[in-house]
Amino acid sequence: MKIVIIGASAAGISAAKTIKASEPDTEVVIIAKEDRVHSRCMLHKFLGHERDVKGISFIADDFFETSGITWLNNTTVIGLDTQKKTVKTHDNQDISYDKLLIASGASYFIPPIPGLRESKNVYGFRDLKDAQLLDSECNTAKNAVVIGAGLVGMDAAVAMMERGLKVTVIEMTDAVMSLQLDQKSAQAYQQRFEEHGAAFILNDKVVSVDVDEVGRGKAIHLASGKVVPADVIVIAAGVRPAFGFITGSGIDTNHAILVGDDLQTNIDDIYAAGDVTGIAGIWPNAMKQGRIAALNMLGEKRSYEDRYALKNTVNFFGLTTLSLGNINPEPEENCEIFICEDRHNYQKVVLKNGVVQGVIIQGNIGGTGFWQYLIKNKIDISGKNKDVFGLSYADFYDQDQQTGEYRYAV
Amino acid sequence: MKRIIIDREKCDGCLNCNIACISAHEEGSNFYTVNMLSPDAETRNFIKFDAQKGYLPIFCRHCDEPECVLSCMSGALEKDPLTGHVQYDESKCAACYMCVMNCPYGVLKPDKRTRTKVIKCDFCDDKVDGPSCVKACPKKAIEVKEVSL
Repeated sequence: MKIVIIGASAAGISAAKTIKASEPDTEVVIIAKEDRVHSRCMLHKFLGHERDVKGISFIADDFFETSGITWLNNTTVIGLDTQKKTVKTHDNQDISYDKLLIASGASYFIPPIPGLRESKNVYGFRDLKDAQLLDSECNTAKNAVVIGAGLVGMDAAVAMMERGLKVTVIEMTDAVMSLQLDQKSAQAYQQRFEEHGAAFILNDKVVSVDVDEVGRGKAIHLASGKVVPADVIVIAAGVRPAFGFITGSGIDTNHAILVGDDLQTNIDDIYAAGDVTGIAGIWPNAMKQGRIAALNMLGEKRSYEDRYALKNTVNFFGLTTLSLGNINPEPEENCEIFICEDRHNYQKVVLKNGVVQGVIIQGNIGGTGFWQYLIKNKIDISGKNKDVFGLSYADFYDQDQQTGEYRYAV
Repeated sequence: MKRIIIDREKCDGCLNCNIACISAHEEGSNFYTVNMLSPDAETRNFIKFDAQKGYLPIFCRHCDEPECVLSCMSGALEKDPLTGHVQYDESKCAACYMCVMNCPYGVLKPDKRTRTKVIKCDFCDDKVDGPSCVKACPKKAIEVKEVSL
């Protein structure tokens, strides 16, 4: 059997590994537009010169050779023939498949703001190529502007601060990382960034960008009337699933490629995994989807159930935070909020009818993995009759006597 | 694969397993010389006390389908196909801590001092005489057993 995988990030590589571990004789071809495999979660380490290109790889150097996978890098897929079961590439190859996994990820989006799309010094921060282009800009630029204070924007900001640039972050909402943090935990990060030289403009919006005679954005005009000078601009205003090449193929989409619990699309033998499915845009879920899609392509009947996406960890300047679920409930949701803090730690638990809706653990996040299980499985903890901050997996302990694997006693 | 099986009824909460773990990861130390006050003194296992049920030792399972490995974005965590144990390559780790978030049993943790690495059971590098914690347990509350996957 021949399996073709489009995309070489979390989902694609995880699928390839799974296939080769289970059935080494299966022919696997990976097609990717990138030059080399890299972890986008480490792009800031590359841009900040903490690691080189090799250092942000998440596979062994000889991964493709030792696992016998055909690696078509720098290759863009431009079309799909589901009748002939072939994939067309930009260089006019028709690559046949028995089963196809679409793991083409997502791409960033530049909002239609006058001057912004036209500026030659505007970059996303999504792939190695973006980071490499930014890297050369950072050699000469003095002022950097990051639009969007989400995790990606903060990653880009910290890397450019590392490079000695004066970084200004512009954010529409009233706090940094507002999807992951509440006011207090966000403030802790903003303060650390400011201590290291960053400036933040919150509650404001970019309305236009002045472009100079050579096509570079030079001044950023905000709704408040402020003007921010820029030598380089990073746009971190979100991403969208990338699947333009399937147009006309008959694969069902709705802003993302639609898949069933088996991660198969509506077309037989075509599967999708990772950001392109829109299920959960976070690395661990993409890896798991890649694995489950691979097992199903090999004939197993596995179901992807881990659709819980509201989760993240943050680590800047040695301050670590775990964020899960609904951490900023509206008053009408009638949630109970518990807070526990000291000099080094801030912990917040949001409860409703005995079920944990969300947590923020800032500071010591050791041993906090169990919270995700409680939240995504809607475990009622009211019967535990225990201080919520004293909970651990031990309160739900159960061990399979045969295998010694843990289970949850709930 | 080999796994540390827990018999909570036997655990007295003496914490010898914790000390053995810290010592095993402090170069050149033994049970008597280990520096428990070092900021790097970290145990990879822990014992919880419950007023009703008593002590409960919690040790890394090196799970069949390890969530930590599936969450690792740097390639630092890998399940060894031969031993079945999840090994950690500190030099690759980028300290994103998605593994800490994803361990359903709350076993993994960032290091206390630098927050640049993960503290995770390495099964004492599969030494022939077994993991240090098991050797140090006077009650046989934790024992290494061969389990089938």
